[in-house]
Amino acid sequence: MATEKIGVGSGQRISMLKVLNPFHIWALGVGIVLVGEFMGWNFTVGKGGAYASLIACWVIGLLYTCVAMIDSEVTSTVAAAGGQYTQAKHIIGPLMAFNVGLYLVMAYTMLCAADALVVGDLMKSGAAVMGYADLDTRPFVVLTVAFLAWLNYRGVFMTLTINLVITFLAFMSLVVLFIAVNPLSQGDVLQHQGLLTDLPYGWIGVVAALQFGMWYYLGIEGTCQAAEEVRSAGRSIPLGTMGGIMTLLVAATITWFVATGLMPWQYLGQAVTPMYDAASLLGNTNLQLMLFMATAFAAIASANGCINDASRAWFSLGRDRYMPVFFGAIHPRYRTPYRSIMFLVPIAISFAFTGLLDQVITFSILSGLLGYTFMSFNMVKFRKMWPLESIHRGYIHPFHPLPAITLFVLCCATYFATFLGYGASLLSIMAFYIVASLWFVFRRYQYVKRADQFTMPWPRPKGY
Amino acid sequence: MKKHYSPPSQGIFGQIFDSLFILVLVYASLMIPLLLKAEEKAESAAAAVQAAANATWESLGQNAVQQAQWIKLGYGPEEAAVLINDRFDYTIDPLMLVITIAVIAGYFIFMLTVSKRQYREVIAEKFD
Amino acid sequence: MIFWDVLTYAAWGLSAIMLMWMVVDAFMVSSQYDEEFLMSSREGEDEVMHGVELDGENK
Repeated sequence: MATEKIGVGSGQRISMLKVLNPFHIWALGVGIVLVGEFMGWNFTVGKGGAYASLIACWVIGLLYTCVAMIDSEVTSTVAAAGGQYTQAKHIIGPLMAFNVGLYLVMAYTMLCAADALVVGDLMKSGAAVMGYADLDTRPFVVLTVAFLAWLNYRGVFMTLTINLVITFLAFMSLVVLFIAVNPLSQGDVLQHQGLLTDLPYGWIGVVAALQFGMWYYLGIEGTCQAAEEVRSAGRSIPLGTMGGIMTLLVAATITWFVATGLMPWQYLGQAVTPMYDAASLLGNTNLQLMLFMATAFAAIASANGCINDASRAWFSLGRDRYMPVFFGAIHPRYRTPYRSIMFLVPIAISFAFTGLLDQVITFSILSGLLGYTFMSFNMVKFRKMWPLESIHRGYIHPFHPLPAITLFVLCCATYFATFLGYGASLLSIMAFYIVASLWFVFRRYQYVKRADQFTMPWPRPKGY
Repeated sequence: MKKHYSPPSQGIFGQIFDSLFILVLVYASLMIPLLLKAEEKAESAAAAVQAAANATWESLGQNAVQQAQWIKLGYGPEEAAVLINDRFDYTIDPLMLVITIAVIAGYFIFMLTVSKRQYREVIAEKFD
Repeated sequence: MIFWDVLTYAAWGLSAIMLMWMVVDAFMVSSQYDEEFLMSSREGEDEVMHGVELDGENK
């Protein structure tokens, strides 16, 4: 190489662009989750009946409210790409941080694969309606991932602005559907009296429903991945996250109300696109078309947010050398973790093509759940090691330690639910994390610089 | 003042190996449960179809409103019976439950213990 | 229907173009910029780090 490369010995530091505002944070959080209201949540109905689904919706809503409160406090203090990963590194320790990083990458990459599959299937059913059977879904799955990766590569601002628009449209479609079913006059369109039954499996079914109840909200905690790219993170992230969880609580309840008033629970419990079916039952072509588009938008927004979050987490792992340092690079023009984004493309596509959608989703949900378990004791330690007055916090959540304890108890119940439905998968996924942890301790950790992991300007933690 | 730990730098092949290792591990854990479950599914599916023959709305316990919605969805009693009779089995195997609890608890305890040791090292190097 | 066949090929083609574009761009960046510089970002370098909220910062 004859010419000198740009940036040699300049002492300049590269960083991500700080361009996002609270609305982008809202779009990132809600965008990932909202697809769950169009499909997936209804498996709770299959697990325990319609009322079990509603109970799961609210109990898991409580779990996520705790998650949002805890996350907001810690992130308003530890503002770095990597979110919970960075929190774990500063509060619990390196091995925990490595595991949390993996939870994030796995949960989001697998969710992204599932979303891309949804887009492919929608294209197929759209083609079938227009008279072309057996459309090959694969090019559309690949196109979804490729296009969104390209968008992410080219900059975070455009990526999340698009997410804001399509998420908002998808959310509005749920509101329109709610108005269209004439919610105040029972028996007109909605038939709750005739369709709602007692708990078909008793209370064990309610517990079992908790697992897929996570589908109503899974991914809202991804908001803190954007911490390095948002202006005044200490204020924007709590605002965006709390706004997001409120939106989702409303959306989840509307969704349940409309769907259970139109379909027998046995059908709903296995439906692939329940909201689209709901619109079809109303016999209005415009509504049907709207729900079709909204489902596609929600799936795209979700995949988009997942690529954003997974790449930030993978990037942070690389930057700290937990994973190969190669991935810790930032694009000099677009200021995105471009290598991580590219790396995740073939992985997401390969997950989508395994045909193991069930496993992939279970893996995603369980990785999320492991992350929430971590948050509960993380919060307790955080308050203990750095009491309130010792460091500046952008947001302080009320009623500590009640949210942390509630979160922990609900997590245990959800593990039990996963055990009921997917016992074998649960053990095999745990085996994955155990082997990965051993690998980290005995091989990978030798490449990590010890003191460099602690980057916050905090005083020495109490008790260490 | 203690000497700081300085890590070796990793070559390109080591980096590729480490990335691939995690990937292989993920695929393995996705495939394993599939091998265990394959036979069970085939059996239960066959049984469900058999039970569905000759079903009527009355024998399925569907009231008038439910029947109407099934029909709107394009289901007759025999098709609906497959969905209605497909019930989950929530019997708990106590041994499996104990094993699962032990695995999850063991995992977290192991992780917290090792993390704590590593964390003390980080704090010592950073603040001493 | 020919429309759907064309659409399928278009989807493959577009994906390939976008993926290739990213790979080429990544190579160009590596050849133009110093590796150390690309990896020089540091965690948590912002206003929260110093414990002060810079309120009027987006002037």
